[in-house]
Amino acid sequence: MEFAFSEDCLLLKAQLSIYSVDVLHKCFYWYTAEFAVDIEVQADDMVLVRLCPKNKDLTSDEHGALVNRIKTDLIDFKARDIITKETRNIRDLLVAKAFAHSDQFDSKPAGNVSDPLGYDPE
Amino acid sequence: MTHCGPSGSEVSSIRSRKFRPINDFQTDINFYHLLPFRFHKITDQTEVLINEIGDFLLCDIGTARRIVNREVSYSDRIYADLISQFFISEKPIPDLIDLMATRYRTKKAFLDEFTSLHIFVMTLRCNHKCRYCQVSRVAENCSDFDMSLSNIDKSVELMFMSPSKNLTVEFQGGEPLLAYDKIKYAVEMITRLNEIHKRRVTFVLCTNLSIMSEDMLDFCKKFGVIISTSLDGPEYLHNSNRPMLPGNGFRLIKDNIRLCQEILGGDSVSALMTTSELSLKYPREIVDEYIAQGFTSVFLRPINPYGLAKKHRDYDLDYLEQFLSFYKTALLYIIEVNKQGITFIEDYASIILSKMLTPFAIGFTDLQSPSGVINSVVVYNYDGAVYASDESRMLAEEGDYTFRLGHVSSDEYQHIFYGPKAQWISQHWANEALPGCSECAFLPFCGADPVRNYATHGDIVGHRPTSGFCKKNIEIIRFLFQLISESNETEMLFRSWVNNTHSPAQPGRVSLDFPPC
Repeated sequence: MEFAFSEDCLLLKAQLSIYSVDVLHKCFYWYTAEFAVDIEVQADDMVLVRLCPKNKDLTSDEHGALVNRIKTDLIDFKARDIITKETRNIRDLLVAKAFAHSDQFDSKPAGNVSDPLGYDPE
Repeated sequence: MTHCGPSGSEVSSIRSRKFRPINDFQTDINFYHLLPFRFHKITDQTEVLINEIGDFLLCDIGTARRIVNREVSYSDRIYADLISQFFISEKPIPDLIDLMATRYRTKKAFLDEFTSLHIFVMTLRCNHKCRYCQVSRVAENCSDFDMSLSNIDKSVELMFMSPSKNLTVEFQGGEPLLAYDKIKYAVEMITRLNEIHKRRVTFVLCTNLSIMSEDMLDFCKKFGVIISTSLDGPEYLHNSNRPMLPGNGFRLIKDNIRLCQEILGGDSVSALMTTSELSLKYPREIVDEYIAQGFTSVFLRPINPYGLAKKHRDYDLDYLEQFLSFYKTALLYIIEVNKQGITFIEDYASIILSKMLTPFAIGFTDLQSPSGVINSVVVYNYDGAVYASDESRMLAEEGDYTFRLGHVSSDEYQHIFYGPKAQWISQHWANEALPGCSECAFLPFCGADPVRNYATHGDIVGHRPTSGFCKKNIEIIRFLFQLISESNETEMLFRSWVNNTHSPAQPGRVSLDFPPC
């Protein structure tokens, strides 16, 4: 990963084999309140992300904090992406099982039902 | 004589009373399957893991990454917790998948009932001028803005078409008591019809209590009507937020709260507050006033970005930062009050804690996914129009009928509740499918609000990074987890809030995110 600042915009170059477009979009979605975000896929398995502050220029101290924040967030979103992909099937199974019989709540139990006191709901 | 066990260790073939070493029961160390979970930083040292069914595990920061990278070993203390609480599994499909599915279904059990909260806007007439009012209001003598008997009849007919076994009928306004005769008519008719329909009906009257009388309270007592009122805090604060001209609104409401408590009982009267800019300065004083008035809980509610409230400075994200500071101060104070032996609950925290600490669905429409609009709540306006939520009605008062579902006189139940408008809303009413929400750790405890998204962002999908609703909920939930992680005593207190028999601030009321009365 390479970071650079140009005209107060942060430029980040990353390898797609490490951080997919999905991961980058999900991560930088949360930056769109403060920054105008541009993600551009380039040749050679690289992607360029440009973050330009919307409201105020960044100080040099804030440059460092921003880079650290991005590094942490990218790793976190990469972990989330792994979890999402690895658990896609089990999540679908879970939801399918949860609602598999949702139309059967009013069905009567199978067989003859009797009550010792002779109560007949019919 | 010995032979090799599964792990290569030597095992005596002679029968022995000794247990085999733990290594004999291990298969491959560090191999496990991930189950669906999400994670969020709580403090610099702590993060929380939350699985698909809402179980959580507070652990050291970086634990989620270790799990994903297969760095957690069988011998780690956390391994057993991860297995038993469904974060990882030693099999591709865990043996208890059916249990997980049942628990997931339980969390969504509110869907079984469909629309259970039916709000009747009896009139737009009002005798207060609350600075944060979200609705249009008209003068006290404008009876053209009362709900007609015909609209009441048709609204009640629609209500009973809901499959829900539990129906909450909530009368709102304006000030609904200004149309007291209409309320009486509606309550008596619903009670009569319910002898056929046999639902569990709860009546809630949202009133500022300014014209409440003993006769009205006797009626409420006869039909089990619960009172919900607004109390913003001490006299100077309440009167500033909710001017009543002429007269002293605070003294009137204080006397009438007492009267309601005497005639109906303490459990049948509850109050809400709305946090104006002025209120932000007095978190402890507001709590003290609620305790002094005999309430056992308070709902600390921010201004909402609808209607007249939108015109005041209160509505912006700077306000939200201040509100969060106010909220945390008040919550910490409430915890201290409890430690001194006074049972007192913050209701919004209690609702979230119920979702965190119990396996049950919670009928609070603002924190449901799929959204509470239509699924849990519907509004019958005084003019017969039907809206997806109270906020939808407020948009209509500004000329935006996006969320108007139909009219009681001209539209059938199927069209109103399942028609094109409802189907359109349903496309974006589950936070499991919303950008920003779908991978948020707090998804099981939060909700989707397409109406709010539309009102604040111009589309029903919304934009989480600039969403006040998102910001508020993330920070409050994170703060609750922080408090739990820092103190066992606080955790036990929170569990007592959700496990005891305390009634919520608005018994029978499942949404508090609409105009005070």
